[in-house]
Amino acid sequence: MTWSAAARGAHQPDNTAFTQQRLPAWQPLLSASIALPLFFCAGLAFIGLGLGLFYSSNGIKELEYDYTGTAGPGGCSACALADRGRAPPPPCWCAWHFSLPELFPGPVYLYYELTNFYQNNRRYSVSRDDAQLSGLPSALRHPANECAPYQRRASGLPIAPCGAIANSLFNDSFSLWHQRRAGGPYVEVPLDRTGIAWWTDCHVKFRNPPPVNGSLALAFHGTAPPPNWPRPVYALSPDPNNTGFVNQDFVVWMRTAALPTFRKLYARIRQGNYSAGLPRGSYAVNITYNYPVRAFGGRKLVVLSNISWMGGKNPFLGIAYLAVGSLCILVGFVMLVVYIRYQDQNDEDEDEE
Amino acid sequence: MDCSLARTLVRRYCAGEENWVDSRTIYVGHKEPPPGAEAYILQRHPDNRIVSSKYTFWNFIPKNLFEQFRRIANFYFLIIFLVQLIIDTPTSPVTSGLPLFFVITVTAIKQGYEDWLRHKADNAMNQCPVHFIQHGKLVRKQSRKLRVGDIVMVKEDETFPCDLIFLSSSRGDGTCHVTTASLDGESSHKTHYAVQDTKGFHTEEDIDGLHATIECEQPQPDLYKFVGRINVYNDRNDPVVRPLGSENLLLRGATLKNTEKIFGVAIYTGMETKMALNYQSKSQKRSAVEKSMNVFLIVYLCILISKALINTVLKYVWQSEPFRDEPWYNQKTESERQRNLVEYIFTDKTGTLTENNMEFKECCIEGHVYVPHAICNGQVLPGASGIDMIDSSPGTSAREREELFFRALCLCHTIQVKDDDDVDGPRKSPDSGKSCTYISSSPDEVALVEGIQRLGFTYLRLKDNYMEILNRENDVERFELLEILSFDSVRRRMSVIVKSATGEIYLFCKGADSSIFPRVIEGKVDQIRARVERNAVEGLRTLCVAYKRLNPEEYEGICTLLQAAKVALQDREKKLAEAYEQIEKDLVLLGATAVEDRLQEKAADTIEALQKAGIKVWVLTGDKMETAAATCYACKLFRRNTQLLELTTKKIEEQSLHDVLFELSKTVLRHSGSLTRDNFSGLSADMQDYGLIIDGAALSLIMKPREDGSCGNYRELFLEICRNCSAVLCCRMAPLQKAQIVKLIKLSKEHPITLAIGDGANDVSMILEAHVGIGVIGKEGRQAARNSDYAVPKFKHLKKMLLVHGHFYYIRISELVQYFFYKNVCFIFPQFLYQFFCGFSQQTLYDTAYLTLYNISFTSLPILLYSLMEQHVSIDTLRRDPSLYRDIAKNALLRWRVFIYWTFLGVFDALVFFFGAYFMFENTTVTSNGQIFGNWTFGTLVFTVMVFTVTLKLALDTHYWTWINHFVIWGSLLFYIVFSLLWGGIIWPFLNYQRMYYVFIQMLSSGPAWLVIILLITVSLLPDVLKKVLCRQLWPSATERVQTKNQCLSVEQSTIFMLSQTSSSLSF
Repeated sequence: MTWSAAARGAHQPDNTAFTQQRLPAWQPLLSASIALPLFFCAGLAFIGLGLGLFYSSNGIKELEYDYTGTAGPGGCSACALADRGRAPPPPCWCAWHFSLPELFPGPVYLYYELTNFYQNNRRYSVSRDDAQLSGLPSALRHPANECAPYQRRASGLPIAPCGAIANSLFNDSFSLWHQRRAGGPYVEVPLDRTGIAWWTDCHVKFRNPPPVNGSLALAFHGTAPPPNWPRPVYALSPDPNNTGFVNQDFVVWMRTAALPTFRKLYARIRQGNYSAGLPRGSYAVNITYNYPVRAFGGRKLVVLSNISWMGGKNPFLGIAYLAVGSLCILVGFVMLVVYIRYQDQNDEDEDEE
Repeated sequence: MDCSLARTLVRRYCAGEENWVDSRTIYVGHKEPPPGAEAYILQRHPDNRIVSSKYTFWNFIPKNLFEQFRRIANFYFLIIFLVQLIIDTPTSPVTSGLPLFFVITVTAIKQGYEDWLRHKADNAMNQCPVHFIQHGKLVRKQSRKLRVGDIVMVKEDETFPCDLIFLSSSRGDGTCHVTTASLDGESSHKTHYAVQDTKGFHTEEDIDGLHATIECEQPQPDLYKFVGRINVYNDRNDPVVRPLGSENLLLRGATLKNTEKIFGVAIYTGMETKMALNYQSKSQKRSAVEKSMNVFLIVYLCILISKALINTVLKYVWQSEPFRDEPWYNQKTESERQRNLVEYIFTDKTGTLTENNMEFKECCIEGHVYVPHAICNGQVLPGASGIDMIDSSPGTSAREREELFFRALCLCHTIQVKDDDDVDGPRKSPDSGKSCTYISSSPDEVALVEGIQRLGFTYLRLKDNYMEILNRENDVERFELLEILSFDSVRRRMSVIVKSATGEIYLFCKGADSSIFPRVIEGKVDQIRARVERNAVEGLRTLCVAYKRLNPEEYEGICTLLQAAKVALQDREKKLAEAYEQIEKDLVLLGATAVEDRLQEKAADTIEALQKAGIKVWVLTGDKMETAAATCYACKLFRRNTQLLELTTKKIEEQSLHDVLFELSKTVLRHSGSLTRDNFSGLSADMQDYGLIIDGAALSLIMKPREDGSCGNYRELFLEICRNCSAVLCCRMAPLQKAQIVKLIKLSKEHPITLAIGDGANDVSMILEAHVGIGVIGKEGRQAARNSDYAVPKFKHLKKMLLVHGHFYYIRISELVQYFFYKNVCFIFPQFLYQFFCGFSQQTLYDTAYLTLYNISFTSLPILLYSLMEQHVSIDTLRRDPSLYRDIAKNALLRWRVFIYWTFLGVFDALVFFFGAYFMFENTTVTSNGQIFGNWTFGTLVFTVMVFTVTLKLALDTHYWTWINHFVIWGSLLFYIVFSLLWGGIIWPFLNYQRMYYVFIQMLSSGPAWLVIILLITVSLLPDVLKKVLCRQLWPSATERVQTKNQCLSVEQSTIFMLSQTSSSLSF
């Protein structure tokens, strides 16, 4: 075979359908006659979808309250004033009172929202050590250089968890109280603090270091908490399954947000009487005001929202689908006109030729 | 002492300098001349080493890297890579380093391998053994050790190791045969002659006793030119001086044939040999695509820099943080030379438009016309040597003239007879006369001699300076060959002086009518002239034959005249020409011949198609005007309604050049002034065609700078005329003039792309000059093909090459270029937008793996396959409808309009990707379990939409879906998904971050993410679909019309086919 190839001449390409460009091919053509039905179908489908999305988004209820404390009558302005200047700020409590005239259908989710907080800043978002967070003992003692300047304390102790993201952990806390009747007692609504982070994050990506003598605290011996933290990482929660690096608040915080205004899930309300939603009545959200935001001009909000199959309230998707669908139909009509008008002319041209 | 040394050096240097300008002196066998001759000047010549390689082992890496980084794109990425290495950057240096490293390594390996092959070839050549004479003995040495002045022995079938002066041969007559197949592709045997005074030296001892010096010019690349002089010192003091010409020179690379061995002295060695000088590289031709691309690249670089500037400034405004580098990433693109977009084609006539397969048609002797017949595939049937006498039978005196004419044609040529003695021994009988093959550099001569053979006179051979011919009575006539006044294109004639057996001396002269008629004093000039002109109009090549009887005294005079001219070292050509001028006069006209050069198969069809495609075809030929014009009519370059404008010497003699030019331009412009613009784009066939005929003399007048230095004036006028002519015929062109014309057009203000096609050595200059040079592998050797960018066997292939492959190539390359820019705008612009939302902190939107792989694997193969496979219309359609070429003429698909469209499409898509995702993620959750996505999910969403959009955009552009296209387009989308699942599905132990862990899978678990992906892809593709459909409907290009028509046809056909199927099944 090689001999015959040589005989034909070394420069001659093989006579295959590929090299001779003779492969059988499908030759579609994007003409108006194909595009028109396509546009109409797509338009109708999009409008249908858009309507569905729009209504399901409209059905979602959302309640939000800005508790930064610069405006409004709530008690949080006092806290905001108190936080000025001193670090760490003294603990401060304030509350948000609201009433529901009717059932707030469940499941209800409690979010906190921060604005003007650039979690996506590059230097901030690289300032973490995933190896340490995965519970690797060696990384626990030797945090990655990316964590600097939150790599080691001045005393030389490695910081666990290291880095700027962990150091800036959101530490306000909320509790929800329900007053069934006016003047009646406030009953605490149980908040489910689990299941707020990705399952894979708190079961695979984030692991505590192996406990020493059955104690997580001993495992963290020889490390220091981040400078802004009042307590070490193993004491984040009394629940032994929800403390340390796998603490869900921490895990949620460590998933850096895409945009400077972001929400993070705080709790789900799905227990007891509240599984179907929040019944009507007065409510109070008691806020432990710790997190300073006024330094960078940010705001803090607490949000109660329920959720449909398509997530939270977001009219964008529905409106966009409606708009694109209508556009398709409109363009379809324009093209139809053009098609009918110029089809004849083209035919004439061809006849002339 | 130092001083004196320096002085010697200076003197030596100066002497060398002087010799460089002048000539070189070679001492044969390194023997100094006897004292009293000339001063012995030591000259330094390079050794016989041939170096064609570019690199050595040591300098390969630095030199190759330097070469590669001279390319703007490579250098840019090197800088980016270095910057990323030095300072802390958002993207790892791997992101830009890996593709760069890959490209550089692959290129270096390829170039290294090629150079290694060259080294190997060089070594093989430099080390091959050479026999040479040292102190009367034969010594073997490596070829590279050969020096100028060495006496070399070469055996049969060996290749000459350097340029040699032929001293003696084993053949008694001092000749040898040589083929120069590896030099110029001509495989015919050429005869070279040993120096007269040395041809007796047959043994090593003899040759060692030779005492001579050679003076010759410094090496120059022209293979066919050489002048020199040899001084042979005999016992007497007076040296014998002999001229040396190219017939004494054996070139390196040529092979000795049919000769046992020869001796020669080396005069040019190593890199100074004519072969090596001819290897000198041609300048790189650059394509229009490459030029456009470079401009676009620069535009994007500017955009890039401005983006970086904007971000940097904004960053400082926003917040003061340590400065970081910009992570912009662009794509390296590469393109090849192209052969499309050609606006002007310059074609040679003989051998290119015509077959160069000459056929003797008729001869006219004294006004009687003779037509040989019984031609069967160029071979004469035995016994069919009859003549058709058109006129009445001539008388006896005429019969003598007739035989003289035939003898003249039999003798007046430079044909060699290739006798296949050994193998075909029994077949070789003097009677049949067809066993021998004639070889000549001019096909006309072969045709003539073969034609005369059919008329009864057969040329047998040249033996010991005697030419033998077989006459009608089968008797061998012997003529002693005294002199050959060889052919040249200025004189346009050749002569031989022969002595017949009876002792009469004849001069036979054969040449173009224009060069013969003025030198004729006797003969039926008018009748013959009429016949010649008739034949010329029919497109036949005509030659006139004349003779002169010389008496011995005259011959003596001629001999001395020629000898004087031949020995001259300076201006030898000129002196020879003058001598020839004196000899070839007062001739008696015998008759004329007509040879037909048939048009190449489909030449007319090709020219017509090229003209329809909007390409201007110029024919440049050395032939006479009438012949050339006839050929032009035959090949439909000129049509019946073409109005011919003549710009010839004859016309210029009548009026001044100035007047002629202005008159012509007035004629042309009056017409074009009334043209509407759409005539240029449309196909109006009924517009008046102009054809211009210009000859060499007129051209040189136009090109000649005028006294006041304003040479541009006539040129501009001439160009203006040419631009408005659909066809131009330039006849009587010298090779250099052909190149001049090409250059003139090439440098005119539109800078059109030019293509030159030709087959002969006289076309080489124009092939090299044009943007695209095409060589036709023809009968006149391979010189043209060797110097060309592309070589084709026939002119008709030009049609497919330009109209089909050129069209495809252009469609593909322009899509490739634009698409590359487009997909990188899509890629980078969201990244730019993201800076506004991350505090200008250079946070990357996409993960590093995505950044690296986007251009390498996710979006690379579909466009690669597109640029290999795309056929927007079928090959047949393109060939059938040449006007489709107009759609892509003048770089239509790479113009600013198109570039801006693609860029805007890219920016629009990028805006859609980014803000679609932005509004989607703004302030809410998109999962049904209330959990929140982070920035990497955001980037992945944008990236997913982008990969799909960009790939589907290409799918929309693809008109030719083979299974490979399907495989690659859907395969690369699938690959993206599989890769993302894998990349996010595992905790990768070697990574120090796990930011992509489960991001892609989580994204796909959310319903709205799917919805938004579909929505954004639709919105991104919508404008392009809309544009395509509307443009096709409202302003269809010719290509689109054809596409639509074909679509309809195929539908109809399938319907008809189905119907016929049904009917046939019914009939059963």
